[in-house]
Amino acid sequence: MHVKRALLFSVVVTGVALTVATDSVRAQRGTNPQPSGGAPRLGGPNGPPPAPPAPNRPVPTLPDGTVDLSGLWTDGGSAPLERLLKPGELKSLMLPWALTLYESRDESLDPYNNCMPGGPLRITGGFAWRLVQHPTVKATHIFMLQEGNAHTYRQIFTDGRKHPEDPTPGWYGHSIGWWEGRTLVVDTIGLHDRFWLDSAGAPHTERLHMVERWTRPDYNTLRREVTIDDPGAYTRPFTVTYTARLAAPGNEIMEYFCIENNQYEIPTERPGARP
Amino acid sequence: MSRNLALLTALLLASPAAAHHSWTAEYDMNKPVTVKGTVTKVEWTNPHTHFYVEAKDEKGVTTTWNFEMASTLSLERAGWSRKTVQPGDVVTITGFAGRNAVERAVASTMTSADGRELFVGKPGQ
Repeated sequence: MHVKRALLFSVVVTGVALTVATDSVRAQRGTNPQPSGGAPRLGGPNGPPPAPPAPNRPVPTLPDGTVDLSGLWTDGGSAPLERLLKPGELKSLMLPWALTLYESRDESLDPYNNCMPGGPLRITGGFAWRLVQHPTVKATHIFMLQEGNAHTYRQIFTDGRKHPEDPTPGWYGHSIGWWEGRTLVVDTIGLHDRFWLDSAGAPHTERLHMVERWTRPDYNTLRREVTIDDPGAYTRPFTVTYTARLAAPGNEIMEYFCIENNQYEIPTERPGARP
Repeated sequence: MSRNLALLTALLLASPAAAHHSWTAEYDMNKPVTVKGTVTKVEWTNPHTHFYVEAKDEKGVTTTWNFEMASTLSLERAGWSRKTVQPGDVVTITGFAGRNAVERAVASTMTSADGRELFVGKPGQ
């Protein structure tokens, strides 16, 4: 009983220590945790701390009746898809080639770890991101500025335009958005398959059609429902939900360029380090 | 019991590990290291900061260690800076050896010559 518990405990701890970034609430603290199963890399969380709770603060509404989603946010798009669905569900939806690929993928092969853009789903990675509506009222563009990863942005056209007939496939694709009441719907096509949908390597094809429904249930929270519709890789569309948190006031996007000194899996010290 | 386990799991999931990859792929948690030496170079860069430390072993052989640490964002948001550690400073670092090259390691703690813990919590704490 005691031994069984300890065994289960150490299995869980080991499993957790091998886990990549999650979308769950991050305990923002300056000191390192000391999990018994592994050692932390010295340094705290990458992103800013969350804003203090403000449950009674009204969600800002714009003069045209839409919701002001703008702000500096954290989380909202990094948890592996598998963890957001029922156990086994994601794999059960994969076409055979996709499942084979998914199970073969090792994080060392993730383009994201070689500083390539992560695609529209992996908006945060534990870093901050800023949603900018331009102009604020009856915006024609919404930008999601990503602090981490490739330090780039998503561009969402909200001026009523349609998707082009045959867009050149890209890392972020072509996104159009519109309001349905207090929900921002974002429709994205035109993605190539040179990135992984998530850190676990969920596959997709150029047929991917991603639909997001963004709401702001309270002042500090963005809710993001994402429907993945890719008949090239999955037997049917499926929907996952992420939650983004408002960053504490006074924080801004900081500069971060993965590409400037990425030593991931480089086995030796950099040239010149030895005397 | 299961509630405590769930709580602990949630706590451990909220680790400061760099979001883009898990450190266990590169470093060997079965090979802890402790190095006391002189800082020769500070790379205050991303995705990780790197601290190069020259240390002599008991046989008098000098090795330059490359210790990886958190991003500049992580450290600066906690109040540390690129000037916290300078070339010439003597530090003691504990961490874990690299899987491919031992001296390409990860730092878990860093202590200054006068015994201050660095990069943990906020400066001055």
